Amino acid sequence: MDFPGIVLDTSVFSQQKKPDHETVYDMLILGGGPAAMSAVVYAARKMLSLAVVTLDFGGLMRETTEIENYLGFQSINANDLVVKFEDHVKSFDIPVSLGVAVKEVRRQGRIFTVLMEDGTLFSGKTVVFCLGERHRPLSAPGEKELAGKGVSYCATCDAPLFKGKRVLIAGGGNSAFTTAFDLVRVNAEIVLVNFVEGWQADETLQQRVRSYDKIQFLDFHEVAGIEGEGKVEEAVLRNRKTGEEKRMLFDGVFVEIGLLPNSDPVKNLVELNKKGEVVIDCSCRTNVPGFFSAGDVTMVPHKQIIISAGEGAKAALTAYDYLIETNQL
Amino acid sequence: MSLIQEKERKQLVEILKSMTNDVTIATFTQEFECNYCRMTRELLEELTGLSDKLKLRVYDFAKESDAAKKYNIDKIPATVLLGDRDYGIRFYGVPAGYEFTTLVEDIIAVSSRDPGLPEDIAAELSKVDRPVHIQVMISPT
Ligand SMILES: Cc1cc2nc3c(=O)[nH]c(=O)nc-3n(C[C@H](O)[C@H](O)[C@H](O)COP(=O)(O)OP(=O)(O)OC[C@H]3O[C@@H](n4cnc5c(N)ncnc54)[C@H](O)[C@@H]3O)c2cc1C
Repeated sequence: MDFPGIVLDTSVFSQQKKPDHETVYDMLILGGGPAAMSAVVYAARKMLSLAVVTLDFGGLMRETTEIENYLGFQSINANDLVVKFEDHVKSFDIPVSLGVAVKEVRRQGRIFTVLMEDGTLFSGKTVVFCLGERHRPLSAPGEKELAGKGVSYCATCDAPLFKGKRVLIAGGGNSAFTTAFDLVRVNAEIVLVNFVEGWQADETLQQRVRSYDKIQFLDFHEVAGIEGEGKVEEAVLRNRKTGEEKRMLFDGVFVEIGLLPNSDPVKNLVELNKKGEVVIDCSCRTNVPGFFSAGDVTMVPHKQIIISAGEGAKAALTAYDYLIETNQL
Repeated sequence: MSLIQEKERKQLVEILKSMTNDVTIATFTQEFECNYCRMTRELLEELTGLSDKLKLRVYDFAKESDAAKKYNIDKIPATVLLGDRDYGIRFYGVPAGYEFTTLVEDIIAVSSRDPGLPEDIAAELSKVDRPVHIQVMISPT
């Protein structure tokens, strides 16, 4: 029984400056994941006037426990890595708008205005857009109403709540099987449902899950509805071949059917690809001069922390070059 | 060997400078200290040594049962934060790991005598007219 040590998250205690609505910043960095945080570090060192606008710090990193592929750390707790990133960002004393969502980004001449959900506005000569991705919903009846009441999008966060319970997992890829594995470890009774035929997860992961005896596999099935009074109680599963429907009792539903880019705020401003990702070139430029983008929200493949961090750095440096080239500094 | 390392000790000295009023930390242990009771007491001794505004009061759970009753303590190690009054803040078990940041946050809050709630929420809460038992489950992710 050794002393477990203490964690002192100093960022909790620092008085954060808020961005000002009157100022036209050299650069507005939107987002608080690794892409945005890395952009801040690079931009701040160029002594630009900067502001960060985000819902949170950490982004999707907050959904996992251990990170084992970030250079320099053989294994690090994801929260600890977020705290390290955040401490680095906050060491520059940059104004941050936290907790309110960006609604839309518009351009007026050379100036960009960021319209917030609460009606406020921020302005910048350049924007580095790093809003990442969100979980794709099933869009099944009852899903929205029961979100957080048994419907979950984060196994790392919620699997322990379903110890020995009956759980439905929607999806057939790696994240669905990783979720299944998390639930196997808490001895849940699992039904895995995949919309298409077969299973798309890596073979080794599938094998690990398949050796468990309290799991049922239903491919080519659809979740036609989730029901319950104030919490998940049952779900309707439809066989897509025969159209036959069956009701099954569940305590929880995990939705693991992929991610969608958070590009809505710029859908009328910049070019997006079919998946809704922001189209960029290898310098993180979009088709709109002065508007740069980085990380998971872009078309860059292999969505990973180190890649997002690298892209964020690149976007900030390219935006800096643009400010010089256009004589705006 | 100290439980709070040099780096955190320095950071804590800075953070605790923002305390505006005194805070007394009461901890409940007993004569034959359980391992975690000892750790809790030692951790709090180190912490309270870092600011003049922090005081430590160590209670014996068995011998000072009146105090235990007063603060509604039924298990140890227990830690109570007291300002101009008892705000009801308790930590059970060693307030180490992520709980440590929460402990320091609560010390600052008790010191300011202000829960930091927006006015509208405080007004809503003032309408609560009977004891309500709230349990919040958290995970570090
Ligand atoms: C379960 C899980 C495990 C993972 N494990 C690993 C791993 O082990 N190693 C690894 O390298 N990667 C891992 N990843 C991937 C990694 O988390 C992402 O690639 C990375 O976080 C992407 O960084 P980003 O900055 O582009 O976006 P995000 O991290 O998604 O950050 C987006 C930011 O934008 C903010 N935001 C979004 N919308 C708005 C809005 N409208 N207004 C304001 N702010 C907004 C968010 O609050 C957030 O701060 C994992 C992902 C998941 C889901």
